[in-house]
Amino acid sequence: MAVLAAPVKRRRRAVRRVPPTLLLFVLVPVAVEGFWVFWPALQGFYLSLTNWDGVSAPTFVGLDNYAEMLSDDIFGTAALDTVIWIVLFGGLSAAGGLGLAMLLNRERKGVGFYRAALFTPVVFSLVATALIWQAIYQPDGVFNNVLGAIGLDSWKHSWLADPDTALYAVLVPALWRQLGYVMVLYLAGLKGIDPALYEAAKLDGATGWQQFRHVTWPQLRSVNSVVLSVIIIDSLRSFDVVWSMTKGGPYHSSELLSTYMYSTAFQSLRLGYASALAVVIFVLAFGVIVTYLVRAFREDQ
Amino acid sequence: MTTAEGLSRRHFLRNAGIVGLGALGSSSFLAACATSASNGPVKQAAGAVTVQSNLSSPQAKVAIEALAKAFGDKGGATATVNTVASETFRTQLPSYLTSANPPDSFTWYPGSLLSGYAKKGLLLDVGDVWQTMGNYTPAMRSLSGDGAGHQVFVPTSYYFWGFFYRKSNFAKWGVTPPSTWTEFLALCETLKGKGISPIGLGAGGGTQWTASAWFDYLNIRINGAQFHRDLLAGRGRFDDPKVKKIFDPWRQALPYTDPNGTALAFQDATTVLLQGKTGMVLTGTFFADAAPKDALDDLDFFQFPILDPSVPVAEEGPTDGFFASARSPHVAEVKEWFKYVATAEAQELYIKNSSGTVLPANPSAKNNGTPLVVKGKKMLDEAKELTQFFNRDSSDALQPTADAALIRFIQKPNELDSILSDWQTAAAKVWQGQS
Repeated sequence: MAVLAAPVKRRRRAVRRVPPTLLLFVLVPVAVEGFWVFWPALQGFYLSLTNWDGVSAPTFVGLDNYAEMLSDDIFGTAALDTVIWIVLFGGLSAAGGLGLAMLLNRERKGVGFYRAALFTPVVFSLVATALIWQAIYQPDGVFNNVLGAIGLDSWKHSWLADPDTALYAVLVPALWRQLGYVMVLYLAGLKGIDPALYEAAKLDGATGWQQFRHVTWPQLRSVNSVVLSVIIIDSLRSFDVVWSMTKGGPYHSSELLSTYMYSTAFQSLRLGYASALAVVIFVLAFGVIVTYLVRAFREDQ
Repeated sequence: MTTAEGLSRRHFLRNAGIVGLGALGSSSFLAACATSASNGPVKQAAGAVTVQSNLSSPQAKVAIEALAKAFGDKGGATATVNTVASETFRTQLPSYLTSANPPDSFTWYPGSLLSGYAKKGLLLDVGDVWQTMGNYTPAMRSLSGDGAGHQVFVPTSYYFWGFFYRKSNFAKWGVTPPSTWTEFLALCETLKGKGISPIGLGAGGGTQWTASAWFDYLNIRINGAQFHRDLLAGRGRFDDPKVKKIFDPWRQALPYTDPNGTALAFQDATTVLLQGKTGMVLTGTFFADAAPKDALDDLDFFQFPILDPSVPVAEEGPTDGFFASARSPHVAEVKEWFKYVATAEAQELYIKNSSGTVLPANPSAKNNGTPLVVKGKKMLDEAKELTQFFNRDSSDALQPTADAALIRFIQKPNELDSILSDWQTAAAKVWQGQS
């Protein structure tokens, strides 16, 4: 009995005696997190149930703001554009990043230069990048001039002013910047693959494609998880590049949920509806990430 | 009514709420708000009036700083200018005004936003300043009121809009300014025949709002100023057949409009005009800030052509000036500052330091006397009525609805019916949100 009782007693004492310093380390971050993240988030959710112009007292309207979204064409456009954005921005940057990493993985003369060059755009602020690309897309800008010089005059276009091309024109600088970043992640993954695996595959007479399919791709699984998470988060938070280039226009053709939320809040001063949009973005981001990460972790186990 | 402190804390938390959710959804959004935090209410220097200014173009910034320096040099109260980027200023104005420790005075303009803030008790009554302001016109006085008998605004300058062109280019092309719509279209036809884009437009790259000038002018020329103001104040509908009618003449002008006009900001449209690639641009005198000094002497303008002689002539004469926060801790000093900026001496000093194309609000003050400015003043003096500009007569919140609708019309004029009904829907939401 005594033997059995002793550890229980000791455990109890251990529970009681949580060092105050440790408590401080837990409680202070919780308080900070609570004040700066959870409390504002709850306030934001409350605001989404109100009508508020930012100056007068908000009036409670229940779920009206959410109901309004269902019949709001601009919300529909913004949601669709966000999906297009996630698919294209995400898909192209993952595929492109992997492609570039494979291309630049083998140590050759000057390969360092190309890696650095491709990574350089990551260093620039996206707003600064957007301003430069805005100049490139001007009617008399570099892009149209190049098209003219190679005899493609009929392709010349007001890229950012045309609702059919605006979203894709904005996507290019975003991709231009993201590619290098994804490439670096994949390069790190490729470096971690044991060369012996390739030697064994070669001995077995595997073709290049078979090596990729059965060696490289499975080995990159953990990097893929990181890349996918990064890409989804980056797509949903894309705002700066669109806002600085088109502000979601012309007539909402390049509107993402994030830009629509911003313009509704700070241009139309409909902070209640904007909060409802913010809640939707949050639910989407949270939903996608949690579902994905939970699955990814389960697979890893 | 809660105490100032309580109210401000509540607002702070609500703003923080928006930021918080935004941060979870989009970190860039957080970044946008983080910038605003650094531009929050400025610390009060003892006794100095803080002037929160959105005049961020280089010449205007120099001019208002010179004004504050001259005010300080007089002895008595002093003023410090805190210049904030226009967009930040606009989005932060509600926070400035509801904060417990606000900047004392603000650059702004009269219009619906001003009266909205005044009705909420956020603006300082400056009626006693007006008693010292002498011979300001009754129009300026009524423009500066809150609609309930209080004066809440001090006007310092105003400017005019018109079709601007280069005199040397018109001479080279052998054309003269038109006065009727028929003559205007004929001029466009002539210019087009010479391979020039007749009408320049700077409604792209963040300055889509300049397209509203076309809407304003066509509406006040065809339906009159009162109809226009009622429409913009939410007492009319954008899908009204009378509104639809104003797009007929606009459609006649579209084939002569620079196809790149919706891709260029007004500063770039100015460059294109000065290079002689476009014939003329409907713009306000502020565009001169983007023009090299040596080109200024070559610029001239003509009035927006008359479309219906039976409609009393109205012109856009946007007015700029100052208002003050009702919570300013320096009421006496603010009033001293306002009395100063309302004087002829102060307004002449401002004009001397700025690009010089604005007109002083004080009738005794001299403008810079160039033929262009004299002609502009004459046009406004002769007008039966003055309007401000789309966002000033309506609200900044309604401006994006106009931008979306008008750019779409310029690009797809055949979709007018759906454009106007979409516009009405978007505008109704804005009005509903503000009620």
